[in-house]
Amino acid sequence: MRNLSVIFIFLAIFTLGNLYTAKAQSGQELVDICSMIAGEEATYLKEFPVKLDAAKPGEELPTSRFSVVLSKDTQYRFTICNSKDYSGQAIMQLFDNNRLLGTNFVVATGKTYPSFDFKCTSTGVYHIFVTFKEGQQGLAVTMLSFVKKL
Amino acid sequence: MSKYLIYILIPLFLFSACKSDKQKESDFSQEFEIPDSVIYDGNLEISEQAMEEIVQNISSPVEIAALIKSLGVPYSNDYLATTDYVDTYNTSYKMALGLGIYGADLGYQNMYNKTGSVLDYISAIKTLADGIRVGQFFDFTTLKRLVTNNQNLDSLMYISVQNFNQMDRYLRENNRGNLSSLIVAGIWIESMYLLGGVVKESPSAEIAEKIGEQKIILSNLMLLLNNYDRDPKFKDLINDLDEIQTIYRDVTITYEKGDPEAIEEDGMLVIKQNDKQFIEISNETMMRIIDKTAEIRNKIIHL
Repeated sequence: MRNLSVIFIFLAIFTLGNLYTAKAQSGQELVDICSMIAGEEATYLKEFPVKLDAAKPGEELPTSRFSVVLSKDTQYRFTICNSKDYSGQAIMQLFDNNRLLGTNFVVATGKTYPSFDFKCTSTGVYHIFVTFKEGQQGLAVTMLSFVKKL
Repeated sequence: MSKYLIYILIPLFLFSACKSDKQKESDFSQEFEIPDSVIYDGNLEISEQAMEEIVQNISSPVEIAALIKSLGVPYSNDYLATTDYVDTYNTSYKMALGLGIYGADLGYQNMYNKTGSVLDYISAIKTLADGIRVGQFFDFTTLKRLVTNNQNLDSLMYISVQNFNQMDRYLRENNRGNLSSLIVAGIWIESMYLLGGVVKESPSAEIAEKIGEQKIILSNLMLLLNNYDRDPKFKDLINDLDEIQTIYRDVTITYEKGDPEAIEEDGMLVIKQNDKQFIEISNETMMRIIDKTAEIRNKIIHL
């Protein structure tokens, strides 16, 4: 009888484990969610998946970096989607060669935006930096979409 | 008996649990156990990390097609590359370049919601993608269904662009960045061909400027391709594009820096860059660039 209980417990663990796996958000799901948040007027161009470990004490925040070429007179949309499986909230920063142009997290108000538009006036290489708030572990997708020619 | 059963079941369950975790971890990389016969094993001039920083979104057919459409230029099949020679593309070099070219054409057709000949292009893309063993990322069945039923054309664009991104990521993550850069080159060349064809038919200052600003894109593309210049085929392509780059020396680009500003419009955060970029390109220079690009593009199609 005791052995049967042990088998039952392991079966339960196995089943719950599989259920958890089935419910975990996949990268594709995040991309699809991001696409919906971006809206119908935005045309998907590219996604940048980010998965970072929690920051270690005394060390810099783990950061992912991507570079993109953006075109003059074009309105782009950056949409940031966080996986519900992790506590981290992604902060995206957009830089040109040496300046911060914008971010989805406004320090002054403490507000985090799920997306922001960038009205590009100069064709060139831009850099995307993604970290997670307070260095938490996180999984997110930053999506770049085309909105319109200006 | 049941004691032995436990000894068998416990490791089995633990193994299953580990396997599930592994699958979850690999969501983004989507590894496939397909042997890669075309892995680039030469020395790279610049590091893989540096390559990553250069290659992302170097040229998007969506943006070029959107510009053409926004100017009210009517759609024309005349700008598209013929798919007649696809079956003769028998090397990974030709296939990757062809993938880029047909990818750009597909973007143009999708932007105009023209599904008439899309089936030919997605079939060609599927053939070439299978040829370089990335066909598993091209959802031909769904795309074909959307085209055949002429429904949900937004999804057609979304899925096809995403499929190209997946192919690109897979190639770069599996030491086949050489093929990825050829796809990017193909997309750029065909997009330039489209711009050239359109501006000849319907002269426009916006398109002339777009062709001029490609000086910046081309310099990034050359950086990417130069990494593989020890390969004779790459060398030929680099030499061809180098001729375009030489013509681009006559294009002047100047900048005036401004301060970016963030505003909120209807609850949406909007960042205005406020830099100014001036692109000077003469009609003669533009025509030389267009003609040279067309020459290279036609050579690739008839490889």
